[in-house]
Amino acid sequence: MSPGILNGEPSVGSEGPRQKSKATVETLRVGCIAMVEKDGQARRAEILSIKDTKSGRQFYCNFDNFNKRLDEWVPVKRIDFEQDVEWPSPDKDKPKDGKGKNSTAPKKKAPSKAQKRPSKREQSVISEAVTPLPFADIPDSQSQSKAPSTPRDLEAKAGETPATAGDEMDIDDDDDNHTPEVKKEEEFSREAEIEKLRTGGSMTQNPTELARIRNISKVQFGQWDLFPWYFSPYPESFTQEDVIFICEFCLSYYGDKKSFSRHRSKCTLQHPPGNEIYRDDYVSFFEIDGRRQRTWCRNLCLLSKMFLDHKTLYYDVDPFLFYVMTQKSEKGHHLVGYFSKEKESADGYNVACILTLPQYQRKGFGRLLIQFSYELSKIEGKLGSPEKPLSDLGLLSYRQYWSENILDLLLECNERDEKSSIESISNSLAMTTQDVEHTLQALKMQVYHKGEHKLVVPEAMIKQREKAKLKQKRYIAPERIQWKPPVFTASSRTWGW
Amino acid sequence: MTTRKVRYKKLNIKTPLPVLREHQINPSEYESLTTESQIATGVEQAEENEYHLQAALKGAGASTDNEIPVPPPQKSTEANYGELYPTPYVEPRNYIKFSDTVEETLGSLYDMTTEDDEFLTTYNAKKPANAQLSEDDFERIMEIFEDTAAEQAPFAAVDNTVVAYEVMAQAMVHLIPKQIVQAHAKIIYEYWMDRRQVCGNKALHPSLKFETHQEHDDMDPYVCFRRREVRQTRKTRARDVQVADKLKKLRRELEEGRQLVVSSHQRELVKREILKADKHIYEQRAKLKETKIRLNIKTDDDDLVNTKPQKRPRAEAQQPSRGVPHNQLRLTVRPDGGRSMEPVDLTLLSDKLIEKDNELRNDIEMKVQNHRRWNHNYVDLTAEPLPPVQDKKEMKFRPAKTTYLMTPPASSASDSMEIDEAPPADVEKALAPFIFKGAPLDDSDQEEMPKYRRRIGRLGRLFIDRRPARSGLKSPPHEGDLMQSDRWKYDQDDSDDEQPYKIKVDSNSLRQMKFRSTIPPPPMLFRRQGADPQQVQGAANRPALPQAQAQAQAQAQGASASSQTQPQTQVPAQAQVQAQVQAQVQPQPVQASS
Ligand SMILES: [Zn+2]
Repeated sequence: MSPGILNGEPSVGSEGPRQKSKATVETLRVGCIAMVEKDGQARRAEILSIKDTKSGRQFYCNFDNFNKRLDEWVPVKRIDFEQDVEWPSPDKDKPKDGKGKNSTAPKKKAPSKAQKRPSKREQSVISEAVTPLPFADIPDSQSQSKAPSTPRDLEAKAGETPATAGDEMDIDDDDDNHTPEVKKEEEFSREAEIEKLRTGGSMTQNPTELARIRNISKVQFGQWDLFPWYFSPYPESFTQEDVIFICEFCLSYYGDKKSFSRHRSKCTLQHPPGNEIYRDDYVSFFEIDGRRQRTWCRNLCLLSKMFLDHKTLYYDVDPFLFYVMTQKSEKGHHLVGYFSKEKESADGYNVACILTLPQYQRKGFGRLLIQFSYELSKIEGKLGSPEKPLSDLGLLSYRQYWSENILDLLLECNERDEKSSIESISNSLAMTTQDVEHTLQALKMQVYHKGEHKLVVPEAMIKQREKAKLKQKRYIAPERIQWKPPVFTASSRTWGW
Repeated sequence: MTTRKVRYKKLNIKTPLPVLREHQINPSEYESLTTESQIATGVEQAEENEYHLQAALKGAGASTDNEIPVPPPQKSTEANYGELYPTPYVEPRNYIKFSDTVEETLGSLYDMTTEDDEFLTTYNAKKPANAQLSEDDFERIMEIFEDTAAEQAPFAAVDNTVVAYEVMAQAMVHLIPKQIVQAHAKIIYEYWMDRRQVCGNKALHPSLKFETHQEHDDMDPYVCFRRREVRQTRKTRARDVQVADKLKKLRRELEEGRQLVVSSHQRELVKREILKADKHIYEQRAKLKETKIRLNIKTDDDDLVNTKPQKRPRAEAQQPSRGVPHNQLRLTVRPDGGRSMEPVDLTLLSDKLIEKDNELRNDIEMKVQNHRRWNHNYVDLTAEPLPPVQDKKEMKFRPAKTTYLMTPPASSASDSMEIDEAPPADVEKALAPFIFKGAPLDDSDQEEMPKYRRRIGRLGRLFIDRRPARSGLKSPPHEGDLMQSDRWKYDQDDSDDEQPYKIKVDSNSLRQMKFRSTIPPPPMLFRRQGADPQQVQGAANRPALPQAQAQAQAQAQGASASSQTQPQTQVPAQAQVQAQVQAQVQPQPVQASS
């Protein structure tokens, strides 16, 4: 299947028409879009970084309409130089028309103020979890007064070197001012910068580019080798390591193998450092306070950031509780997954971040995590919803959990010949009414028929559900939960007392 | 599609919706009803259209199982899991409770690197086996170097400060055995210094980047776990006022505390003056006596002793907020009772209370009389009326005898549910087999004795019902607390407190129950009962009523009837309260074998 066909619009380099021509290995540079072979097919891919290795030059590619977790370093032979390459246009990212004036004006006048993030953004950044564009929106607010529309926009803009550096930007509101020389220089510096950053320099410019590139290539975690999906702010020197080591129990991280084995000889933890609040013969749950267990929770966040794109580690872990699911063996409780939850969520979220570690994925653990989060909400007597945005995997897991539970509920109603309202579904599942409605709509169960709204359960879904029920054997048993909603005083939230 | 939707009645979330299956609706219709619509996914907009996600979403509900591909994890081939994680895990029976932090569970926080290992190996190679430095000790020393450096020179990475060995040695004193320090520390220090220089005098362990300079940091994706700014941004006038109020309050309270100390000081000074004066009086009296003797003046010795303080002025001294016993105590404390500063003819609270009490009692009495008059010539045809009111002393409850029997009483069982007949006096004695400690020991005071009765209930269970001593209104609550009074003897300053007295009382003690039973009911309550005389009887007739209570109510009736003959007036309403108290006490039957 050729790229872009399934879903129309290409996402890579969609900012507008670009200059196209043939390129060579030498001229291909960061920002170019080339046809790159991925899983046996040619796909548009943006070059995000370039490095020279013993085996030749490699290009870090982001594939059109593929999630970033599939980005990879690609050797020359996988790039199709027969086809035209789309060159990064110098003005493609320029703010258009009036925007440009708006963007530079505040910068000239109050450069220090530009650091302030827009308040609304800040709110969302505060929430530790899956906040959109944690780093990307920061430079954006500097160079542009308008809120970002897409990350691509943002990152491209931030990619312009002068955004942070220079006064020279202030002059040109006009595209005409851009001479090819300027452009070349710009591209060159940008490329060099990224390379510098990649290799662990102390440059702090163009951070958004940096955060787009996976910085850890392999993690040894317990018995497993994990291959990270996204950037995670481990110590910068780890970028140079082929493999980093993470202790399975305390989640401490090591670049040096000797250090790690020394740590293992001293580490005594065999389960997450908190109170066990659930146990059955399959999994356990531990509740961990981010304030009390700062190191462990930070370690957990760093680890999970490698598999969560829209998680920001911008702020500390104090305002969160972490509910950690484990499976035990003769070695201890192994981390399977977790979700974090704000101690006090203004928006009524019952989950901030949620992750099943890759080695446990596709085994139904995500559903247990989700169920557990709703069981806690039931105990609290609240309706809950996960914080947005969801990741693609998160959306699928939640959709599945929601639809299964709503389906079961509706089938019962149908059998008893009872009516049901969105509110009653919401109350019995501790789901918000919006989530109920979205699920009903997504599953096409909510119809308008003869002047009346009705809920119709599609036969196909019933069949599928029955099939799934045969497979799925694990549920959380609510009666095994030993938990009272923790109470935090205003002062403990504000001051940490 | 979306335009069509607009015409729909908006769906209220509370509307009950019929739940149908496909076949319950015309299938052809159903097909057309299910429209594609754009539903909010909650996924980042730019990712919503990703190929694999769309494929998976399309597959949902269908039979195809489209999974989103991810870089697959692998079982590690390099990791020697068994060696790295050797400790077997023992699961505790109960849910784990754990609060140690990662740092607390580890020993030394310095983990030696490959480089350290090489150094240590070569270092130890030159030493005899018994003088070698262990890895643990090496790490401990390095940890102290690192910690001390972080503490003494936090900006070492910038200004390249090197903490001197002397400082390090100081830090090691209590943590590392002396001989190890002497043998190795200096050399390790030089090694440490070299390593620090190589990595720009930063901490040797790779560390996370924390915020240092906000403007640069904000841009840096490596900077993480920033401290949340304290919510100073939300500074509002209201909050300022609130804070100011709090500070004022704090200031005021501190001032009050200070004032308290000052006042106590002054009080003690005054006390000293009083004592001086007393001493002076004493001496003067001594002189007076001498003089009297010498001059042979014969009068009564009133002028030589303090006249006994009268009760009245004392009680008068009390402020309403003060507890009665407290005041009494104070008065007994004062040796200078004669100097009553209070005007004698002030009306007293206690007088007022008695007056009120009397009024109330009269009122009640009158109503009782009225009641009787209403009922005069009427015949009670209630199915099972309460036994008629008896004027004579009721015999079914027998007063407890406060004699201790050395031998257990002879058991006498009665088959019937009926209340025992009054036994002969000697048997009566035998049936009261225990001393009731809380009761007065004075046998002659029959009225004050708690009473008991025995009855046999279903299944032959033996019940002992008790009935606290009947008492009049005369007993003030704290009358007997003379023993406790000592405690407050010298605590006069307490009265400045606005806090009312808290006296620990056992609310289930006989004395307390007795007292509670004497509290006159609020007039409102009384009136209602007076207006509906049948209520009392009706309640007694309910078959489900525990017999004890019914009996108690009967008692109440008896009490009211006998009121005229008793020195202390008893009124039905009051008895009612008493009966309720009894009902509380009684229903726990004493189980006895039978
Ligand atoms: Zn560990």
